[in-house]
Amino acid sequence: MKYIPTIGIECHVQLATKTKLFSEVDNDARGKEPNSCVSPVDYALPGMLPRLNGEAVRLAILAGRAMNCKINLESRFDRKHYFYPDSPKGYQITQFYHPIIGAGYVELPSGKRVAIEHAHLEGDAGKLTHFDTYSLVDLNRVDTPLIEIVSMPDIHSAKDAHDYCKELWRLMVYAGVSYGDLYNGNMRFDVNVSIAPEGATELGTRTEVKNLNSFRSVERAAEYEIARQTKLLESGEKIIQETRGWSDATGKTTGQRSKEEAKDYRYMPEPDIPPIRLSSEFVEDESTKLPLMPADYRKKFGGKLAGDTLEVLLDYPELMRKLGEVADEGAVLLSNLFASVLLAEEKSAEYLNDLPSAEDLNELCKMNLDKELSSTATKDVFLHLFDPQMRGRGTRTIAKELGIIQENDMGALEVIVDIVLAKPETAKAQADFKAGEEKVIGFLVGQVMKESHGKANPSAVQEILRKKLS
Amino acid sequence: MEVNCDTIKHLAKLSNFSLSDAEIKSLGGDLNSIIGYISQLDELDVENIEPTYQVFEMENVWRADEILPQDATREQLLALTKEEKDNQIKVPKVL
Amino acid sequence: MKTANKKVTATRLVKDALEKAKHFEDYHIFTFLNEEGALKKAKEIDARIARGEKVGRLAGVPYALKDNFLSPEGETTASAHILEGFTSPVTATAVEKLEAEGAIMIGRTNLDAFAHGSSTENSYYGPTLNSHDRARVAGGSSGGSAVAVALDIVEFATGTDTGGSIRQPASFNGIYGFKPTYGTISRYGVVAMASSLDCIGFFTRTPEDMDLLMSIASGQDPKDMTTLPDYYNEAVASAKLDDSRLAPARPFAFGNSRPKGRALRGSGAHSAPVVADGLEPSNSCTRIGIVKEFDNDSVDTEIREALKEKCELLKSKGHEVVGLEMPTLKYALAAYYIIQPAEVASNLSRHDGIRYGFRSENSTDLDGLYEHTRDEGFMSENKRRIMTGNFVLSSGFYDAYFLKAAKARTLIVQEYEKAFSKCDFILSPVSPNPAFKLGEKVNDPVAMYLEDLMSVSLNLAGVPGLAIPAGKTKAGLPVGLQLVGPRRSDKRLIEFAKELA
Repeated sequence: MKYIPTIGIECHVQLATKTKLFSEVDNDARGKEPNSCVSPVDYALPGMLPRLNGEAVRLAILAGRAMNCKINLESRFDRKHYFYPDSPKGYQITQFYHPIIGAGYVELPSGKRVAIEHAHLEGDAGKLTHFDTYSLVDLNRVDTPLIEIVSMPDIHSAKDAHDYCKELWRLMVYAGVSYGDLYNGNMRFDVNVSIAPEGATELGTRTEVKNLNSFRSVERAAEYEIARQTKLLESGEKIIQETRGWSDATGKTTGQRSKEEAKDYRYMPEPDIPPIRLSSEFVEDESTKLPLMPADYRKKFGGKLAGDTLEVLLDYPELMRKLGEVADEGAVLLSNLFASVLLAEEKSAEYLNDLPSAEDLNELCKMNLDKELSSTATKDVFLHLFDPQMRGRGTRTIAKELGIIQENDMGALEVIVDIVLAKPETAKAQADFKAGEEKVIGFLVGQVMKESHGKANPSAVQEILRKKLS
Repeated sequence: MEVNCDTIKHLAKLSNFSLSDAEIKSLGGDLNSIIGYISQLDELDVENIEPTYQVFEMENVWRADEILPQDATREQLLALTKEEKDNQIKVPKVL
Repeated sequence: MKTANKKVTATRLVKDALEKAKHFEDYHIFTFLNEEGALKKAKEIDARIARGEKVGRLAGVPYALKDNFLSPEGETTASAHILEGFTSPVTATAVEKLEAEGAIMIGRTNLDAFAHGSSTENSYYGPTLNSHDRARVAGGSSGGSAVAVALDIVEFATGTDTGGSIRQPASFNGIYGFKPTYGTISRYGVVAMASSLDCIGFFTRTPEDMDLLMSIASGQDPKDMTTLPDYYNEAVASAKLDDSRLAPARPFAFGNSRPKGRALRGSGAHSAPVVADGLEPSNSCTRIGIVKEFDNDSVDTEIREALKEKCELLKSKGHEVVGLEMPTLKYALAAYYIIQPAEVASNLSRHDGIRYGFRSENSTDLDGLYEHTRDEGFMSENKRRIMTGNFVLSSGFYDAYFLKAAKARTLIVQEYEKAFSKCDFILSPVSPNPAFKLGEKVNDPVAMYLEDLMSVSLNLAGVPGLAIPAGKTKAGLPVGLQLVGPRRSDKRLIEFAKELA
């Protein structure tokens, strides 16, 4: 029997704020000592009260708009209760009853749409390190601002799960909502997988694979779960609803025990934070601050660029931002240059940190269109624009110094052609051509190119030769 | 409504108490009389009434996204815990 | 307020207060006496006075601090075992403001553990005795603070009032106790009981002292997002007074309301209604409402007598006394004993023995650490409230209990709005009876809860209430009444109390 997988994904996105969600301490604990970014509020001393970070609210609005979501003008916070050392207050401040971000959708490159159920603001938890007889608690990550994005179960393949997560990453990074540093856990995915016989009206029992931190592991974990569940059903066994952990090393998911009563989180409206009431005008104003998003670039380059080229480039937001700056007529040429040359290069990553100016890039395109640079010469100059020694001198100077600007002056070219035709060693070729041997024209063009030290525009040279030899 | 022994035990778990049977018995009795009392709200008609969670006229209270000095240092905070190791709070193993 | 000067030094004032505190030691008023710290501060102030420097409005005035206010002076225990050994590195905003004016904390006062109680019998350190009858309770939860002022050990003491914890002990000990409008004094650094109900206030022996303390301690605090912009010290009436006086704390009506647009501001953008000032243009005739539901046989006859006498006094001064029907208040106590335990259960979740305070030794694994620490660290009454709270919040019961109580709260807010359209202030008993005997109710939670019958509705509505002395019973027990006003009428309320003296 054929089984159809159904996947829903919850994604936690750390917001790119300077300070935490409820205190004025540094939100970036990377490379810092344990508990060095902890205020008495985060440490949950008695009598401490949350101090809401307005920037987190603003970024949540941008995130919502990036996902075509309705922004709820009225929202508020709630407390989610559970005991664990990573939760100093004994509850997480989240938005359960009235989240700030309502329904919307994310469109995948394939054109498929994944509906967003809602997304809400909440504080992150601290970190525990386990040792044989004890555990150590670091609260640096406590109440780092997060938005949790909850998708509908609209995904039906591991590949689409991968593409959805990747597209979310792009949206959050392009919108400037998150740094999107997956290695440091800026985005984490919980994947819910179930399978049901084709045509079944009800979904199967689902399992949740928690805390995946790469698109690849999302795809692999989903693949594994689909296969595992299929095998179980085919051998007539049942699927248990449970949380499972994923190991990149073994490529397997394994069941995790969880306290049954811990499931009752006793959500309660947060009495220490006044409600949020936004005006539609304000939400609109903020939305206009969204920069060009992947969808905008797809419109901009749609058709002009090979689809896969564009999708490759879209993984480099800073590069796309640069392409957004250059003149439209050159955008396609540059996209291809970036794609073929730069991304093929080993050093692409470091190149990306330091892109050439839009002026230089525009000049490069102009010279190419004016035939001053051959396609090879264009690539050559393009690469030199990344060279710390060369760059700064400007495109034209670099081209000059490389001596690869093409000679397009017909007068000057005729002189060179005459010199070549006057040479005895070309006599035979000239005779053969006149006798109708087409291919020797290549030899003659080559001779002229040699004489011009490669600066002549080959097509112009051939044109002149044909005229003179007819 | 009457809360039975299992409910009391469940509530004790939610509250993270390890109650003796004697405590479960006495607290159970108290809880039942308390719940009995608060259940008189059943008489009250709250049809189409919006809830009030805060008696406070203000909304949209938030702060600027700026790092500021705090009221206590890491050392002061960690000094409050019973066991500390490598600037972290030491807790028994999670079973 | 007797402040220090060249003749009567701060050191003298502090020494006297400390002596009296020791003299009354067996009343169990204090959980900590701040001898060293207080004398050190007194000397500093005396030095400044000697140098002719400017000193604050409370220069050298000794005061007692309820032991649920955080400050580095002494352990902040909230009279609970689970906070044993906790010395706070941070200081409550209210304490900072008082000490900035030169006030000197001479001791921390006893309370029902985590302020859970109406008699101070639920203290881990034992009950505080009533100032007028040692066989009776001090009231609670701020029992220690009330008795410290009643026995003239200090001129004022701090308190917290979540359902009557200032007003009831004030009335049991014959002094003034004020619960301000919710959001008037910052809650930052005060051990939370029920966040949407908690109010910081004071005990004094005169309305004048109360006014001074309020003008010092009130005001917006960036560390407490639920503090109102300063209004207490704003000068005389504005045209807005009437609307703002009636402006309710709006129920959180999703979808129904069209909010006015407000831009994000770092400082926090505040919404209408504009916060009004305290003082009304002094009009000779004030209308005083008497709540019929609070004037029946369930209330001690001598308290009802005291209420009548005050009404006569007011009439004789040309004020008008009007009858009020407030039927919904009948449900206030039930709503309170759902909302309050829910917030209590939530707020006490942070006491787990991991980061501060008491940690049980009888455990080798994490679950055991939590369970034993909380089991040994909390008093029975704490446990009752935590478990009740977890009951009303647990899945399956939330709508029937917590949500229903939140809706009842809306009706109670509206009931007060209606009442204040008919009168300027309400005068009512604080509790159904004078101070009761030690041990009389401690084993009957519901009987103890009924003590709060007439005090909790103010906290649910967020309106201010001032407990005022109203004579004594034949047995010599103090009788107190409470003067209740609309939100942000705090200053007028305290002013008007002088009419009742």
